[in-house]
Amino acid sequence: MTEPRFLQIHFLAPYTAALLNRDDSGLAKRLPYGGHLRTRVSSQCLKRHWRLADDPHSLHRIAGADDAFRSRETVDRKVFADWAADVDAAVVKPIRDAMLTAVYGDKGTDKKSRQTLLLGEVEVAYLTAEARRLVAEAGDDAKAAAALAKEWNKTHKANLRAMSEGAKLPGGLTGALFGRMVTSDPKANIDAPVHVAHAFTVHAEEAEGDYFIAADDLARDEDTGADTIQETELTSGLFYGYVVVDLPGLLSNLGGDARLAGDVLHNLLYLIAEVSPGAKLGSTAPYSRASLLLVEAGDRQPRSLAEAFRSPCPAETGQAVAALSDHLAALDAAYATGEVRRVMSLANAEVPGAAPGTLADLAGFARELPAQLAGPAA
Amino acid sequence: MTLRWLHLRLTAPLMAFGDVSIDHVGPTRDFPSASALTGLFANALGWRREDGAAHQALQDRLIFGALIAREGRVLTDNQNARLGGNDRGWTTWGRPDERACATYDSPHRRRRDYLADHDCRVVLRLLPGDGPDLDRLAAVLERPARPLFIGRKPCLPTAPLFAGWIDADNVQAALLALAMPGRALWPMTGDDPGFDLPDLRNWVTGLHGGSRRVCEGMIP
Repeated sequence: MTEPRFLQIHFLAPYTAALLNRDDSGLAKRLPYGGHLRTRVSSQCLKRHWRLADDPHSLHRIAGADDAFRSRETVDRKVFADWAADVDAAVVKPIRDAMLTAVYGDKGTDKKSRQTLLLGEVEVAYLTAEARRLVAEAGDDAKAAAALAKEWNKTHKANLRAMSEGAKLPGGLTGALFGRMVTSDPKANIDAPVHVAHAFTVHAEEAEGDYFIAADDLARDEDTGADTIQETELTSGLFYGYVVVDLPGLLSNLGGDARLAGDVLHNLLYLIAEVSPGAKLGSTAPYSRASLLLVEAGDRQPRSLAEAFRSPCPAETGQAVAALSDHLAALDAAYATGEVRRVMSLANAEVPGAAPGTLADLAGFARELPAQLAGPAA
Repeated sequence: MTLRWLHLRLTAPLMAFGDVSIDHVGPTRDFPSASALTGLFANALGWRREDGAAHQALQDRLIFGALIAREGRVLTDNQNARLGGNDRGWTTWGRPDERACATYDSPHRRRRDYLADHDCRVVLRLLPGDGPDLDRLAAVLERPARPLFIGRKPCLPTAPLFAGWIDADNVQAALLALAMPGRALWPMTGDDPGFDLPDLRNWVTGLHGGSRRVCEGMIP
């Protein structure tokens, strides 16, 4: 059984008479592909809407993340791990307490009062290096340790507050998947474990210029004419989108917590299928649901299925799924990459190697994946 | 003496190869740079950004030629980022990084160029030295440590990057062995007319690392 290191998510989503994503000239973003111009929704637009959606499945709403007791013990268990057992307890204690208060706040030394922080691999590596340095500097002297710890706490307070703000729930979950502010220190940065391709229509663009005016109802009889005359673009399209999640990367950002990683993936599938990337909410109501969601779990190099639509395909889910399946079958015949697949489709069409299911089934499948990875124990 | 070359296929609906970038515009060339290929392999190998020496050693050993199998168009994507004045990030230096200033109420606008519908082939070999060998590179292209992307993270490939092996004496012969006509770029040897291409990166400092002499021409 191959390890599910990468989760590939393909979707087809129809949007009619909308202007989902504009460029700086106010027109829909486009992509030339296969000799035809397609309408496009940019990667950053998709990510932003999934990140900020106020949806029952937004990452902010993952229930029970507060109960992740293990993340309250990160400093005790992971930072002061086996190496600390060989050191005199009197020397370790003031340093550990200083670190706990700096990271978790003034009540940090009491486990029950600690807030839950998602400290990932880079945070743990940094804190461990600092702890070892302080212990080495203190030598065997408990008093020196206490003094060093107090001084460290004072000078590093601002830096560690920045660390704990980024790791706090619920923002920490969103940061673990979509990334945090990038600093100039490569050792402190995480790479967002999600890759989102620009979505584009499977067919050549279908756009219409919508000429409209705004009239002032309070205008007097002699004030004729419109107050403003404008033109905007309306596009319709069946969009193909592609997302890859790096599961080991996600686990490392969540401190190895496979259950939380599973919840993040579960909610992400709902967000991809249900959240609109659209703008112009009032004038176009660009709300839709994915008509196809195909997920693949495997360890081979992830690849987009965009080539299925190199020749523009009719803008209809059934035919688009057929084109996708043909291309997927050709890839399987040539490369036999052996991913495990599940598909949710509104069209009654088979996708090679993919067991059909509902969105809940696919989300449940995704939720079980992190636990299958042979990684560090959560 | 016949050498073995790794054949890479770089193709995606949108790709970016990078170029000298000065301001809010992120341009792209139509051939991959030595730094881009180094970064691609480093990602596949699972290296971290701070492994500067390992990256530098790999870049120094790289010998490659590139050929455009399908010429794409340059597409400029307009991107807006809202940066908050109070944003803070921790560092391993003990002081948090802050933003120089907020973008007030308007977003920070920038443009990024991509190559749309472009297909570029690369023939590549490594000089002997410390680090992975060609077989290891081929293996990590098939089973990478992290998802592979071509230039920027949304640039996910549509085909496996590893496209096979080629036997040839030198770069030009390897490019000819692809049996695809197109415009190509290869390292300058001997007295061929060439030009300076600033596509090297200094991986230890993270800044640009100078240029190398290359030739560009048509492969029949």
